[in-house]
Amino acid sequence: MPLPLENRFNAEPTSAVWSLILERTGYGLRYFVQFLRVYPGYAAGYVIVLTVAVVAAVAPLIAPYSPVNADASVYLQPPTLSHVLGTDSTGMDVFSRVIFAPRIDLAIAVIGTLVSSIVGSSIGAWVGYFQATTGIRSFLSSAIMRAADVLQAFPVFVFAIALVAVFGQSINSLVLAIAFVNIPIYLRLMRSQVLRIRDMRYVEAAYILGVPDWVIIGRHIMPNSIAPVLAQLSVNIGWSILLTAGLSFVGAGVRAPTPEWGSMIAMGFPNVMTGQWWPSVFPGLALAITVFGFALIGASIEFLADPRRRRTLASGKPPLPTQA
Amino acid sequence: MESGQTILDRPVPSYRTIQGFKVESMNQRRNQTTAGLTRRAVIKSASAAAAYSLLPKFGTSETFAAEQPHTMVIAAPATPQSLDHEFDVSLGTIDAVGGLYDNLLEYEKIPDSQVPDALREDIAVHSDKPYNLNLKGKLAEKWEISSDGTVARFFLRQGVKSNWGNELTADDVKWTWDRKLHLTGLGPFQTGVLNITREDQIQLEGRYVVSFHVPKPNPLLLKQMVNLSNPVYDSVKCKQVATKDDPWAHKFLENNTAGFGAYVVSQLVRGQQAVFKARSDYYRGKPYMDTVIFKEVPTSATRLSLLQGGSVDIAQFLQPLEYTTVKKVGGVSVDAVKASFAIWVELNAKMQPFDNVKVRQAMNYALPREEILKAVFQDLADKQTGCIPDIYPDFTDKFWTYDTDLDKAKSLLAEAGFKDGFKTTLSYDAGNPVQEPIAILFQTALRKIGVEIILNKVPAATFYDFVTKRQQSLIFYLDSPWVPDPGYSTQLYFNSKSYVDYSNYTNAEVDDLIKSGLQTLDPTVRNETYTKVQQIVMSEAPWVFIAWPRYVLARRSNLKGFTYYTSNNLRFQDFYRS
Repeated sequence: MPLPLENRFNAEPTSAVWSLILERTGYGLRYFVQFLRVYPGYAAGYVIVLTVAVVAAVAPLIAPYSPVNADASVYLQPPTLSHVLGTDSTGMDVFSRVIFAPRIDLAIAVIGTLVSSIVGSSIGAWVGYFQATTGIRSFLSSAIMRAADVLQAFPVFVFAIALVAVFGQSINSLVLAIAFVNIPIYLRLMRSQVLRIRDMRYVEAAYILGVPDWVIIGRHIMPNSIAPVLAQLSVNIGWSILLTAGLSFVGAGVRAPTPEWGSMIAMGFPNVMTGQWWPSVFPGLALAITVFGFALIGASIEFLADPRRRRTLASGKPPLPTQA
Repeated sequence: MESGQTILDRPVPSYRTIQGFKVESMNQRRNQTTAGLTRRAVIKSASAAAAYSLLPKFGTSETFAAEQPHTMVIAAPATPQSLDHEFDVSLGTIDAVGGLYDNLLEYEKIPDSQVPDALREDIAVHSDKPYNLNLKGKLAEKWEISSDGTVARFFLRQGVKSNWGNELTADDVKWTWDRKLHLTGLGPFQTGVLNITREDQIQLEGRYVVSFHVPKPNPLLLKQMVNLSNPVYDSVKCKQVATKDDPWAHKFLENNTAGFGAYVVSQLVRGQQAVFKARSDYYRGKPYMDTVIFKEVPTSATRLSLLQGGSVDIAQFLQPLEYTTVKKVGGVSVDAVKASFAIWVELNAKMQPFDNVKVRQAMNYALPREEILKAVFQDLADKQTGCIPDIYPDFTDKFWTYDTDLDKAKSLLAEAGFKDGFKTTLSYDAGNPVQEPIAILFQTALRKIGVEIILNKVPAATFYDFVTKRQQSLIFYLDSPWVPDPGYSTQLYFNSKSYVDYSNYTNAEVDDLIKSGLQTLDPTVRNETYTKVQQIVMSEAPWVFIAWPRYVLARRSNLKGFTYYTSNNLRFQDFYRS
């Protein structure tokens, strides 16, 4: 019989393994583990993402076939014991390609998102710090915000396609495109945080003591403004995976036959309509599950970053409804 | 090519080529087919319902044919973009031109040897027939060629009226060919292959007699009069509507008909539909189909659904797998006839390493043709064992040696100095659904002999530019020489001065042979000449020879009369219901 929610959170772990883990970790991790035990739905997100990452890492060891070698003698075979997820129209093994695909999708999305978060946050901090001051730096910060407005006025997908078209079809271009379209998001996020924090007493104190602006921004403001950025990261990675897959689906992403979920869906799409659903459906499922995993992680971070809900959780009272 | 769809269900213009001309505005889209199986019923129904809503209503779709037996509805990828063939060779346009205009001559029709329900042109060399051709008069009643082969004289059928009521005269033929000399579309090419460069080479010899004068004997003189690209216009009407700025009535002919064909256009709404009405005063008698509705249905899946539901009589340009699916549906027939199409990979002879014949040969030995025919074309194509269409006169496959042999390919590479292989790029058309799987299969095969190719998917809109610029090492190409003649075909692709020699292939002996073959009427000499050309070309392998895709027609079973033409288009007047 499961314990009521509030009791479950406050209950001590019964498992020896859990006890061991909790003993050897700090409060933060203990709190986090307890949080996941109370909300296993959020834990699913971490499990999914971890599983995808591990599978991608060991794909060369577990893939039964090469993900890029075609074999027309077995084209469009339905799932069987020899090809557990079937084969596509050129006889490539769908399972092998599905497990290799996240090596590309995750890499592009994670690197692109990290680049955008670092660049966007840095610019956002700078812009926010000098917002509403006077002189060239104020002018520049306003100009940057207007430029961000312009960038965000374009439909993201179309903009990304245009960037790939300009820089050429390659993985680097995809990373660049994803980084570029995401920069305004982090810029705005960081700026809004900095606008609040820059008037804090400790910032004023540092300023009065003559600490240079870049030190104030780097050492005092950014670390205290970074939480929402981190929360955004996970959601953004999921979204970037979708964008990568979308670009590949329309032919602007990775080159065939590189295993990539969007590209696989596109290649298998005509066959779905003639009854051979497996070349498209399995990569589609993998994509959906992975993005869902990142969304759950984002939601959990949002939960944990919210002091009100954190306090509620700690008090053992029923949780507040999610804002989403 | 039967198809050529894009990567998405969005209207991406794509291209194919006919005799080297860009064929655009065909909304080639990626398939979404249905198959009539239960688990796909929802998809099929939704697709059909959406598409059906686009169509004119004729009662229930199932009873359409019964209610309107003399109306034929064609689901096509695109409507005609223009009715002036001089400037437009899009798929819809060539279908329209075949119904709206007539030529001086045509080939006799014979049953297709493999498809009992289909007819095809008898394009063989007939030593027992005049000029070795099995021709039949169309607008011309009689024709003759001078003994030295430099003059072709045509005696026109009298009393033939255009759709504007003007009688056919020699003036119409001359005006038609003068127009070609003055415009910059297909005309200069059509006159060029006949060595016609001046108006005075087309002479009036009476109200109903016109002659063509060429400097040297030309075996294409009669064949060109059959070519779909050379129909006869009503010059009286065209002169009436011509203006100072448009002396050759291009603007009028873009949207209207002024010809002697079986149909007139009664409606043309680009992107939606074209409607053609049969002429009751057509000199060969009114065609069976009173009305032909040519409906734009961009996605092949929807076209297929409409055909299965009985809402249309013909679904054009489906994908190979869709044809195999629709074959199983009752009330639908699929005719796949040998055609003049070919798909190959251009090996750029001016770029390393393909300037080396052994490398080109190795590439041919490496291609897994049989697998491609099976997996990609669903056996709706034949192995390309020669450099001209196998249905054309003087074709021979006796120089074919390139059956897949990876060991042979590897040893050739070693002989060429590429023992460890090399790396290169293969460009393919995103708008053509068969090129990517072929490329992947080829890539896998080449990997086994150490050759690494990067697949470069090129947007359909720019693919043709890639081809014409001739700066790609490897690039796919799909084409069809319309005139069934070995000289015409080899002139297009292997003469180093031809603008369609996209592989940059150069061989002075081949150039000379092609030229000499186009200056003699002797069938024996021509056969020897073009046999030699084929021998050299096959040996030097400027292409990776892939396949001859078939022309495939998916139609309602009660629709009869399908006839295959080397121009790969429909002629509405051929069809009737059983």
